[in-house]
Amino acid sequence: MTNTNDLGFTILSLVVFLPAVGAIILAFMRGQRGAARIFALGWSTLVFAVSLPILFNFKHDAAGLQFYEYFSWIPDWGVRYELGLDGISLWLVLLTTFITPLAIWSAWNVEDKTNNFLMLILLQETGMLGVFLAQDLFLFYIFWEFTLIPMYFLIGIWGGKRRIYATVKFFLYTFAASVFMLIGIIALGLLNYKYLAQQGLPTDTAFQVQTLMANINQFGLSDTELKLLFLSFFVAFAVKVPLWPVHTWLPDAHVEAPTAGSVILAAVLLKMGGYGMIRFCVQLFPQVAQEWARPIALLAVIGIIYGAVLSYAQSDIKKLVAYSSVSHMGFIVLGIFALNEVGLQGAVLQMINHGLSTGALFLLIGMVYERTHTRELADYGGLWKVVPVFVYFLLFATMASVGLPGLNGFVGEFLIMLGAFDSPIGWTFTAFAAVGVILAAVYLLKMFQGIASGPFSERRTPHLSDLTRREVAILLPLCILMLVIGLYSPYFTRPMETTIKALEAFVANAAPLIAGQ
Amino acid sequence: MAELIWLVPLLPLLGVVINTLLGLNDLRRSRANAHHDHGHDHGHGHADAHHGHGDNPTSKRSGLIASLMVGLGFVLTLVTLVELLGMPAPTTLGENNRWFDVTYWNWMAFGDLKIPFGFLIDQLSVTMMLLVTGVGTLIHLYAIGYMSHDERPTRFFVYLNLFIVAMLMLVMGNNFVMLFLGWEGVGLCSFLLIGFWFEQRDPPWASVKAFVTNRVGDFGLLMAMFAIYALARKPDGTFLHSLIFREVLDQGTVFSLQQYSTFFMGTQYTAAGAIAFMLLLGVTGKSAQIPLFVWLPDAMAGPTPVSALIHAATMVTAGVYLMIRTHPIFELAPSVQSTVTFIGVATALVAASIALGQYDIKKVLAFSTVSQLGFMVAAVGMGAYVAAMFHLLTHGIFKALLFLGSGSVIHGFGNEQDMRKMGGLRKKMPTTFWTYIVGTMGLIGFPLISGFWSKDEIIGHAFDHDHRTVGILLIVGAVLTSFYMGRQISMVFFGEQRDQHIHAHESSRWMTAPLIGLALLTLASGLINVPGWHPLTTWLEPIVEEEAAKFHLNIAAIVTILGLLAFAAGFYLYNWAAKHKRIKPNQRDLLHHWGGDFYAILEEKWGFDALYNAVLVKPYKALASFFGKFFDVKIIDGIVNGTAELVGLSGRGLRTFQSGYVRSYALMFVIGVVIVLGFFALR
Repeated sequence: MTNTNDLGFTILSLVVFLPAVGAIILAFMRGQRGAARIFALGWSTLVFAVSLPILFNFKHDAAGLQFYEYFSWIPDWGVRYELGLDGISLWLVLLTTFITPLAIWSAWNVEDKTNNFLMLILLQETGMLGVFLAQDLFLFYIFWEFTLIPMYFLIGIWGGKRRIYATVKFFLYTFAASVFMLIGIIALGLLNYKYLAQQGLPTDTAFQVQTLMANINQFGLSDTELKLLFLSFFVAFAVKVPLWPVHTWLPDAHVEAPTAGSVILAAVLLKMGGYGMIRFCVQLFPQVAQEWARPIALLAVIGIIYGAVLSYAQSDIKKLVAYSSVSHMGFIVLGIFALNEVGLQGAVLQMINHGLSTGALFLLIGMVYERTHTRELADYGGLWKVVPVFVYFLLFATMASVGLPGLNGFVGEFLIMLGAFDSPIGWTFTAFAAVGVILAAVYLLKMFQGIASGPFSERRTPHLSDLTRREVAILLPLCILMLVIGLYSPYFTRPMETTIKALEAFVANAAPLIAGQ
Repeated sequence: MAELIWLVPLLPLLGVVINTLLGLNDLRRSRANAHHDHGHDHGHGHADAHHGHGDNPTSKRSGLIASLMVGLGFVLTLVTLVELLGMPAPTTLGENNRWFDVTYWNWMAFGDLKIPFGFLIDQLSVTMMLLVTGVGTLIHLYAIGYMSHDERPTRFFVYLNLFIVAMLMLVMGNNFVMLFLGWEGVGLCSFLLIGFWFEQRDPPWASVKAFVTNRVGDFGLLMAMFAIYALARKPDGTFLHSLIFREVLDQGTVFSLQQYSTFFMGTQYTAAGAIAFMLLLGVTGKSAQIPLFVWLPDAMAGPTPVSALIHAATMVTAGVYLMIRTHPIFELAPSVQSTVTFIGVATALVAASIALGQYDIKKVLAFSTVSQLGFMVAAVGMGAYVAAMFHLLTHGIFKALLFLGSGSVIHGFGNEQDMRKMGGLRKKMPTTFWTYIVGTMGLIGFPLISGFWSKDEIIGHAFDHDHRTVGILLIVGAVLTSFYMGRQISMVFFGEQRDQHIHAHESSRWMTAPLIGLALLTLASGLINVPGWHPLTTWLEPIVEEEAAKFHLNIAAIVTILGLLAFAAGFYLYNWAAKHKRIKPNQRDLLHHWGGDFYAILEEKWGFDALYNAVLVKPYKALASFFGKFFDVKIIDGIVNGTAELVGLSGRGLRTFQSGYVRSYALMFVIGVVIVLGFFALR
């Protein structure tokens, strides 16, 4: 394998496959539930530790991919094993390695088939990391589809009452959408292969993203063909995000998933959609992205408002938070298609923010559900009196999600709307997005006060005890990060700056579509 | 001080941290005790401090820490003031040397975007800081007494200190986003403090109402910030891309906002006009103006020190501060300035009239506050910035005094707030009574006392600058103010106590001492900008570039005489009513007997709440329910499930989880590949 980093070893491959190795080891620990838990937690923490050198050795001023490592995998088809990372994927990789140990730790009370549960989470981590790091379309697609499988079982086996319906829907919905992307990937690969062969160049890089970016304008594709190819990718990502109106798999999946599954789903899995939009829709088809920025922004804004209204309509706390994801992810798509530096920075940052704050909300709901076994908002009330520590953590995560300045959510939403206002998307859509900020306060405070305030009922919410040390230790790192991003964002935006500036210039300089060709 | 100015907000933040740790320690101890007692005394779970009706010692401990932090902040602000005074005074109009701008780090920064975390300390911010920390300290001390019987005083002081931090961010911030940090931060603290007594029915929802209504205003502030960032240009024509006050409000830059214009709902706005309008929306939220004032009366559900500190003296004046800070933008948009004046006057009158129809001692003061804020907003609209600031300061002091006085009454009157049950309390609560009289004199503009000067400056400005109608309407507002205060003084302090079940007593020294302090400040506060000397005008002149207001003896005389007559009318009318047993608990007011339906409208607060309920809240709930129960489930998801069924991923596939999907997977995979290969092979 060819390795281009200064570390002397292929760190990205190590980070990607280390969790899978952990899963294999777990397979040999059957019957030792306690040891398996500690091992999984320790191993995933180790993965996080191993991923940190990526951050510390990341060169801020270098545009393009870093830590590039590759070998020729299926040369006849033009497929290579290629990993690499730039400013856009950097934080998503770290988010994944950071969230996974916390999710594992939160699943301390899973008693049923514990080893399998932990194995699946580790396999899930490998899949997600592969998605964020793969630089070959074929490899990307394999990781992309692979992420479905562990989550499918996590929901289907450890989920709630309607888990089968939810998990099959999750699988089929996202899979069906991904098939369109597969078509697009094969088409692009074939075209590139043909082009490279014509030019007398080596054809083993036909599926490589970088080569495709450079060559795609030479394929002689018409506008319609470009748009169709764009769509084939966009549909897959839109479902994953999820963008209105292809969001209905999400509430079902979230509600039925076990806590750790919900956390991973919300914190990382949805981000694959946003990441894909930047990496493929925008980078491969900048002209189409420009031309369709406003229609897509419209869908995003509808999603922001619609998700907020739907969230308010829910009586199930978990569903309420699930719909809030539809609203918050709408902001991310809006920021991406602002196609300027401010909007893109905001969008990537907001992916991290949403991962932290919504992850924390799902953790908190899971913790209280473990005690009371009810998710009906109407059953709750007066928890401030009984479990104040829980309530203050809930307040913190709620406020981060509401977008209170000083916490992370504000920085992301502010930058996104600033970027959208200052782009061809314009002030009208931005104004509607800002209405979503008002509505966020409506549904989130309804939830918060419904849980924290009012009379407490021992009968409806029995056996309440405040957070344990373990639970506090899970939540604290999330809350600290929310505060740090909220007050000192340059540390997080600086590594992305060069990449995103280059992307902005790349989009701005892209040849416009020629109408009627 | 320039190097140490960060200490002013950091001290109360330290108070937050210390009291949080103390509170956690209390919690841990009480849990250990509960665990220990478990065998003996089940159900007595939480520690005694949580339930007792006696004094809660944690109030004094946490309160003193919190007060000390704010008090030290006040001292440091005084030092800063002296330092600014020591800088050279301006010699020409528009020149300003008395400021410093410190940036600690970049809050958001990349490309050409730069949003610093930093403070701008100048005449305006120091003046606001003095009010916040000064009045804040007295209210903190008062709260030690007020919260002494409460279950959770430590928590209360954490919130109160956090509020001071946020309020300081608001007035000290050197850019719009810093201001917004404070702006929403005080909103959060207001939310927490209104809902402080969370077990009760109303406070939690009053707190949500306050936060959400303010968010509507914040929408305006956000849009204004985006527009400024996207549109402002430097004199050389390049984009400014900044939200720093000193850069945006620079004369050469701010004019660029006139270059753009947009049509909206048939009217043409310049960018400056649209921005000013959006800022105004923010102001109507935070400063409780029409149409967004509805949250403030409900906010009275919080403990009374909160009403005094947040909902009278400091937070609600943030809108006035914002408009004075950004006045160069408003001055580019005369039509918006007229709207500002109109909203101010309308609010002053509507709120004053509603105050006539309230029976709750705090609600009267709440509407009085809304009304007085209307005076300030009207003043800003007319360009009388110094007068607005003057009234902001005097009002901050005397209204804090009145609220704390009402708190003392409530505290000493068995937590009862209905004035119809009170009466004759002047004998049982002499200190409260006399200080309340001083506060009232300040509010109604008793000759030579605070409000007399500041209110006259606003009304005088109206007549001087051709806003005759505004002046007359504000006089009407002042007359109404005097009347409802006469009514309140009579109902609370004179006649006989009407509900004899309540044992009334004077409050403790912790509470009366701040009352006396604020009363003395009220008596002296007119000096801040007394005609002839007008130190406030001289002080703020470099920022607002405004001449000293002239004193109008004839206007002052008319306003004062009318005011005193109205006060006497209200006072004697209700004295008479009390004497003839025309005031009874749960019985409608005397004025209802004469005014009928019109009085009912006042009682119902002109129907704003009912209107918003009918056109906003209910439709939103209906819409949410329609989308949630029908549209999302049946239409959007219905299409999805229908499609799935259509392409053969039948209901069977969705329900039985072993079979179905694998086959479909393979099928779709093959179809897809065939299509693609075919397409690209044939082209």
